[in-house]
Amino acid sequence: MGPAATLNRASMTPRRRPTSEPPRVRRLLIGLALGFLALFLVVPLASVFAHALARGWGAYLKSFHDPVTFSAIKLTVIAAAIAVPLNCVFGVAAAWAIAKFRFPGKQLLITLIDLPFSVSPVISGLIFVLLFGAQGALGPWLIEREIQIIFAVPGIVLATTFVTFPFVARELIPLMQAQGRSEEEAAIVLGASGWKTFWRVTLPNIKWGLLYGVILCNARAMGEFGAVSVVSGHIRGETNTIPLHIEILYNEYNFVGAFAVASLLTLLALVTLALKTWVEWKNASAPGANHGSSP
Amino acid sequence: MPFRQRNVLPGFRLTLGFTLLYLSLLVLIPLAGVFVKTSTLTWDQFWGTVTAPRVLASYRLSFGAALLAATVNLFFGLLVAWVLVRYQFWGKRLVDALVDLPFALPTAVAGIALTAVYSKNGWIGAWLAPLGINVAFTPLGVFVALTFIGLPFVVRTVQPVLEDLDAELEEAAASLGANRWQTFRRVLLPILFPSLLTGFALAFARALGEYGSVVFISGNMPMKTEITPLLIITKLEQYDYAGATALAVVMLVVSFVMLLTINLLQWWGSRSHAPA
Amino acid sequence: MSIEVRHITRQFGKFKALDDVTLKVESGELVALLGPSGSGKTTLLRIIAGLEFPDPGPAQVLFYGDDVTHLPASQRKAGFAFQHYALFRHLSVFENIAFGLRVRPRATRPPERDILQRVETLLKLVQLEPLAQRYPAQLSGGQRQRVALARALAVEPKVLLLDEPFGALDAKVRKDLRRWLRRLHDEIHITTLFVTHDQEEALEVADRVAIMRDGRIEQIGTPDDIYDRPASPFIYDFLGNVNLFHGRIHEGRVLIGDTAFEAARGAGGPQSQAVAFVRPHDIRVTREASGRSTLAARLVRCHAAGPVAQLELERLDGGAAFAVQLSRDQFRQLQPQPGEQLFVELQNVRVFSDDYSI
Repeated sequence: MGPAATLNRASMTPRRRPTSEPPRVRRLLIGLALGFLALFLVVPLASVFAHALARGWGAYLKSFHDPVTFSAIKLTVIAAAIAVPLNCVFGVAAAWAIAKFRFPGKQLLITLIDLPFSVSPVISGLIFVLLFGAQGALGPWLIEREIQIIFAVPGIVLATTFVTFPFVARELIPLMQAQGRSEEEAAIVLGASGWKTFWRVTLPNIKWGLLYGVILCNARAMGEFGAVSVVSGHIRGETNTIPLHIEILYNEYNFVGAFAVASLLTLLALVTLALKTWVEWKNASAPGANHGSSP
Repeated sequence: MPFRQRNVLPGFRLTLGFTLLYLSLLVLIPLAGVFVKTSTLTWDQFWGTVTAPRVLASYRLSFGAALLAATVNLFFGLLVAWVLVRYQFWGKRLVDALVDLPFALPTAVAGIALTAVYSKNGWIGAWLAPLGINVAFTPLGVFVALTFIGLPFVVRTVQPVLEDLDAELEEAAASLGANRWQTFRRVLLPILFPSLLTGFALAFARALGEYGSVVFISGNMPMKTEITPLLIITKLEQYDYAGATALAVVMLVVSFVMLLTINLLQWWGSRSHAPA
Repeated sequence: MSIEVRHITRQFGKFKALDDVTLKVESGELVALLGPSGSGKTTLLRIIAGLEFPDPGPAQVLFYGDDVTHLPASQRKAGFAFQHYALFRHLSVFENIAFGLRVRPRATRPPERDILQRVETLLKLVQLEPLAQRYPAQLSGGQRQRVALARALAVEPKVLLLDEPFGALDAKVRKDLRRWLRRLHDEIHITTLFVTHDQEEALEVADRVAIMRDGRIEQIGTPDDIYDRPASPFIYDFLGNVNLFHGRIHEGRVLIGDTAFEAARGAGGPQSQAVAFVRPHDIRVTREASGRSTLAARLVRCHAAGPVAQLELERLDGGAAFAVQLSRDQFRQLQPQPGEQLFVELQNVRVFSDDYSI
C-alpha cells in the first residue's frame, strides 16, 4: 500500500485508491448482497420464531410438555451421542494415517471419505434399508434372531453416522497435512513414546480443528432429516427424531407446535454458528496456528 | 517411498487399518449394495423404471431447479464474497457468520420456514401473490429451497481466494490504464474462475440430492412438483425396493460424476492458483 | 569414535540418495556435512538420528562403539535440531526445553526441581532467560534456533545433530549465530554433526568438513585442507571463488596459452588436456613481464571498496576473463587503470584432467 499511498498524495485530488470502487457502486453492491441474504436467510430465520410464538409464550412452552416431543429429543441426543464420538475417532485416525505417512492411493482414500457428502440423504437411508430391511440382504438372518435395525433405533444411529461420516476427518486432514510431521519427529527424538507424542504434541495442535469438526458434525447429526426419515418408520414416541417430529406436527397442521420444536433446532443452529465463529476467531489468534475454514 | 518402509512415527498400520475398515463397513459396502440390488432387475426393467414419464418429469424438475439455483448462487455468492472481503460495514462479522446458516439449520426446519414465508399468506408470499406469482407448491418453490441450501458454497469457495489476492495485481492493472471494470473482468475474474466453478458444482450437487427442505415447499404433485429423491421414498413406501434402487443408481452415478468433476476443478484451481 | 556410520545406502525409487557412505566423527568434534541440495546430506543426518532408515544390507550406525542401527529414534539419545526448528507451538520456551525430560517414564523422570534447574541452566547457556514464558510464535528466527538447541541438549544427548541450523535465518543473524555455536561447542564439547549448503559457514565453524555429492562423500578434511587442496574440480566449483584456465599438461607443467606454469596434480587420467584452477588471491599482477612465466592480460574493471581490491581481467590471447584479488597495499602500489595491459603470474595452480566441465 506504501507506494500507492505516496503516489496519491502527490496527485492533485486524492479521491480514492485506484483499487477500490466509487462509494455509489460500493453502496449498491453492499445493498444487493444484504438484500439477497435478508430474503433467503434472515426472513425465514425470523419466521421460525414468529410462528412459534404466534399464540404467545404459553402456547409455545406448552408444546414441550409432551412425552412424544421429549422422546424425540432423547432419541436425537442418543443418535448424536453415538455418531459424533465414532466419527471423531475415525476422523483422527484417518487424518493421522493420511497426513503423517506416505502411501499409494492416498488421494483416492480422501475422495472416498468425502463420498457421503455427495450422496443424497434419501439414498443414505436407502442403503441401510437394502442391507438390513425385511427384504434386505441381511434381513432374513436378522429376523431369525429377532434383531431389528430398520424402523428402530440402530437404523437411525447408522444413518446418522453415515451422513456425518466425513465432518471431522475433512477438517483434520488438511490441517494436519499443513502442520507436517516435524514436531512429532522432534518429540520422538526427545524420547517420547508414540502415545505421548500424540497426546502432548499432535492433539494440542489440532484441538481447534477437532472442535470445529465436532461442532459441525453434531449440528448435522441432530438435524438430519432425509436419511433418518427413510429408516425410521415414523413410530411416535419410539423412532422419531426431532426433525421427524416436526414433520408430523406440521402435517397435522399443528403449526405452533411444529415451529416451537423447530425453534429448538434453530437455536441449536445459531449456537453452532456462534461456536464455529468463536473457534475460527480463537484459531486465528492462536500463536502459530493457521487453519482455513471450509464448508 | 515404498509401502513396506519402516516409519519413525507409530500407528500407521493401526490408523490406516481402522480407517479402511470403518470406511468399508459404513460407506463402501452399503453403497455397493445399491448396485448389487439393481442387478436383480433385467436391463429392460431397469430402463423402464428409470425412464417412466413420472420419473422423467422428476429429473427435469430436479436438474432444472438445481441448475437454476446454482446459477443464482453463482452470481450472488460472488457478490456476497466480494462485499464481505472488500468492504467495511456495520454488522459484517454477523453477516459473515450467518452465511453458513444453511449448513447449520436442519433441512426440515428450513423447509417449513421457507414454506411459511413464501406461501400465499406468508410474509413474502403475500406480496408476490397479487402479482400472480405463487412460490409455495410450485416449481418456483423448489428453486427457492435449493437456492437456500446451496447459498454458502460459492461464498465459501470464493472468499479465501479473494482474501489471498495480491493487491499489487490490481495496482498493476490500474497503473497500466485499466479501469475498475476492466480490472475485474480481465484480471480478477479469471483468477476467481476455478473457485467459482467449484462452488457452483458443489451447490448443484447438493441441490440435486436435497430432500428435507424441498418436500415441504414443493407440494409433491406427481409430474409437476415431484423431485427424484421424493420418488425414491414413494417407491420405498410402496415396497418397490427394486424400483427405488434403480432410481438411486441413476442419482448415485450422477453424484459420482459430479464428485469427479469437483475434484478435477479443485485440482485445476489449486494449480492455477499456485504462486507464479 | 563417537559417531560412526558404515556402508549406508538409501534409495528413493530410482534416485540413490546415499551410496555406500562411511563416515567417522571423533569424540568432541564439530563436523560439517557440506553439499548442494540433493547430495544426500540431510538424509544421512536423519538416518543417524533414526528418523530415516538405510536400505537393508551391511549398513551400520554406531554411537561410541554401540550399534544403534536397530534402536528406535526415541532411544538413541541423539539431540536433533530441525531445519525449521519444529518447536512445539503450543508450549512456552520453558516447556519446550523441558519436554524431553517430562515425557520420560515415571521411573527415570527427574524430579520437578531437577527439571526446573536443568531448564534454567540451559536457558542461561543459550542466553534466553528472559524469554522463558514466551511462545515460539513470539520469537525471532535466531531465538527459535537457540530454543531448538537448548531443547535438544536438555536430554543430555550423546551426540548433537543439526540440520541446516542457520538455513532459515538472514545473513547478519547467521553470522552471529554460527560464531555463537562455535563458542558453545568449545564450551560443552559435545560431538556435533551439522548439515549445511553454505561453504563459508562450514569452513568457518567446523573442525572438519565432509563434502557430499550425489550420495557420496567426495572429500573429508580440515577446512584448510579442503580449501587449499580440493580433491576434485567439483569441490573447487562448489567452494567457488576460483579461476579456471583450460590448457595442456606438458612435462609436469601446465601450458596455458604459450606459458608454462608449475602445477600440483589433482585427480584425473593421463590426458594432456587439462583444467587449471587458481584462486584469485593466488595471482600476482605486475606492469612489466618479469623473467618468470607470465600471461598478458587487459584490465577490464576494478573496484577497491572493501578489504581487498577486486580486479577483472581479460587474457590477450583469446579474451577469457578471470578475477584477481589484491590487498589494498598491493593495489595502491600498482594503481592499475582500466584498459591497461598487465602481466599475471599464477601461483598454487592445481590441474585436473579435462573431463569435467563447469
